[in-house]
Amino acid sequence: MWFYMKLAWRNIFRNKRRTVIAGIAIGVGLAALLFTAALMEGMNINMIQSVTSSFLGEAEIHGKGFRETQEVEKTIANPDQLTTELSRDPVVEKFTPRTLSIGMITSPAEANAVVLVGVAPESEKYLSKIDESIAAGKFFEGTNPGDILIGSKLAELLEVAPGDRIVVTVTQANSGDLNQEMFRVSGIYRFGVPEMDSGMAFIRLQTAQKMLGIGNGIHQIAVKFNDIRIASQGNHPFWEKYSGANNEAVGWPILLPQMKTAVDMSWISILITAVILMGLVTFGIINTLFMSFYERMFEFSILGAIGTRPGGLRKLIIFEAAALGIIGIILGVLLGSIALLILNNTGLDYRGIEYAGATFKELIYPAVHIWHYIVFPIGVFVFTIVVGLYPAWVASRLRPADGLRRSL
Amino acid sequence: MENQNSIISTEDVKKIYKDNGVEVPAVRGISMTITPGEFTAVVGPSGSGKTTFLNIISGLDNPSGGKVLLKGKPLSEMKGKELSDFRRDHIGFIFQAYNLIPVLTVEENVEYIMLLQGIPKKERRLRVLEILRKVGLEEYIDRLPPKLSGGQQQRVAIARAMVSKPDLILADEPTANLDSKTGAELLDMMRELNRTTGMTFLFSTHDKMIMDRARRVITLQDGLVVKDEVKG
Repeated sequence: MWFYMKLAWRNIFRNKRRTVIAGIAIGVGLAALLFTAALMEGMNINMIQSVTSSFLGEAEIHGKGFRETQEVEKTIANPDQLTTELSRDPVVEKFTPRTLSIGMITSPAEANAVVLVGVAPESEKYLSKIDESIAAGKFFEGTNPGDILIGSKLAELLEVAPGDRIVVTVTQANSGDLNQEMFRVSGIYRFGVPEMDSGMAFIRLQTAQKMLGIGNGIHQIAVKFNDIRIASQGNHPFWEKYSGANNEAVGWPILLPQMKTAVDMSWISILITAVILMGLVTFGIINTLFMSFYERMFEFSILGAIGTRPGGLRKLIIFEAAALGIIGIILGVLLGSIALLILNNTGLDYRGIEYAGATFKELIYPAVHIWHYIVFPIGVFVFTIVVGLYPAWVASRLRPADGLRRSL
Repeated sequence: MENQNSIISTEDVKKIYKDNGVEVPAVRGISMTITPGEFTAVVGPSGSGKTTFLNIISGLDNPSGGKVLLKGKPLSEMKGKELSDFRRDHIGFIFQAYNLIPVLTVEENVEYIMLLQGIPKKERRLRVLEILRKVGLEEYIDRLPPKLSGGQQQRVAIARAMVSKPDLILADEPTANLDSKTGAELLDMMRELNRTTGMTFLFSTHDKMIMDRARRVITLQDGLVVKDEVKG
């Protein structure tokens, strides 16, 4: 066995140029795979973070049925107990309570329907980026219950600026009575997401609760985990823990099914990329092994003639394929790492581009996992050996007399 | 025809090749016996069937008819692995173009067959040194074949063929690529090894030097033995 390994290793360096070219072909395939996987993973994380950190949160807790009906009466059960538990939960980094309702905003110039969100400004800062997206005026300051934040597109429509007054009308819970309040525009935000910039407005939580007549009720608790991956772990105990007492806890994959599909699809894309790349590499490996085999047919015949069993010839070719694979893997890991290092420094600028309901807000950086460097090289190695089986089989079927005759 | 003492005996061996549906007979019925210790040359013009005959008796090729017996055992009963093992254990080959493995050192080339036979490293080493001493290449043990002259490479090939002490050494035009002086030296060396070790040599050749040194000369023509002469 060791002898064949030694022989195979030396054999592949008999034609260094061809070995290097084949190694580069395998290496480029592997490098492209490492690069694509890290980039896709980076895009996914960027996309998820862009949506979850803008406003959504990585998970949300609602009263049962609220998500489907948006009825203001369907508030979270036992909110005080829930917030106490959340504040002690080791997997939870931050959380914030909210109310959500449909309302009408009216200015002297125009009126528009919006999603009116009641927020707790102090904790909201950690869950959303409203405070970072203020384009004019200020985020909630002081304790004025009449402050309101509106999006830049809505401000244009209503023709208002910070300091201007607007009227908000909502329907009260249970009674269905209309309730109107006057607010002063304290800030205008620009998220870059059209729906949010034109269709949402933020007021203080207590003001919203009072307007809606829900006491200290809340409609939503947005949660940020210590580890974003918990949100996509459907079997994590968090969901069951907070889904009792007529409440439901759901992660972003359920809140944003289109994004979950996009993330899942990205892995299918990587798989397709892998198949295409490996398909191209196959021709390189087979070509190299067959060229090498036909060039050395006489030698193989001699080996067969002096007593090498067919299995021995098979082993030799497979070891040559494996040696080629090792060289390709070394080159691939090097090339892939260099490419990833460069991208890690420069980032990929997709800012402003919308995909699967998310707008990229930050530069995309590759997300490299250790398993990429284990699974892909092992995959390429196994694949190279599998590809080598065919030339090995052909070599083992060579009748020495035929080989000697053909080579003369 | 079968001799109790024979290493190889053939009975009416025939080989017909098919070329585009046309049957071309290469060997048309050869019966002969090779006994231990012979130093025999099979001679004849190109196309007389020498190489085909050697391929058949070494198990490299199958006859279209007739029988080949190795120490009384028919080769036709052997297939695949068994046939490989038969060649490994009973036949030593010397080819016209030396055909050493260029990436293996002289030692590794010579020990290859013993490695296939599963002989322990220590014994392999001893036997390699012994045979290289006999062929005068002891000091080249770590060299790669491309760094050796043609004559030296052929000596390595002879060492490789002999090291496992096979019953029969088949040499197909072993001097064809060598100058006459080197060829003569090698033949004298093989003759001496034949004399001292009792190993059997069977040559396929046109070379007069070999014919002159052979104790038995079998002449083939058109796939048939036309003369079988044992020298006094």
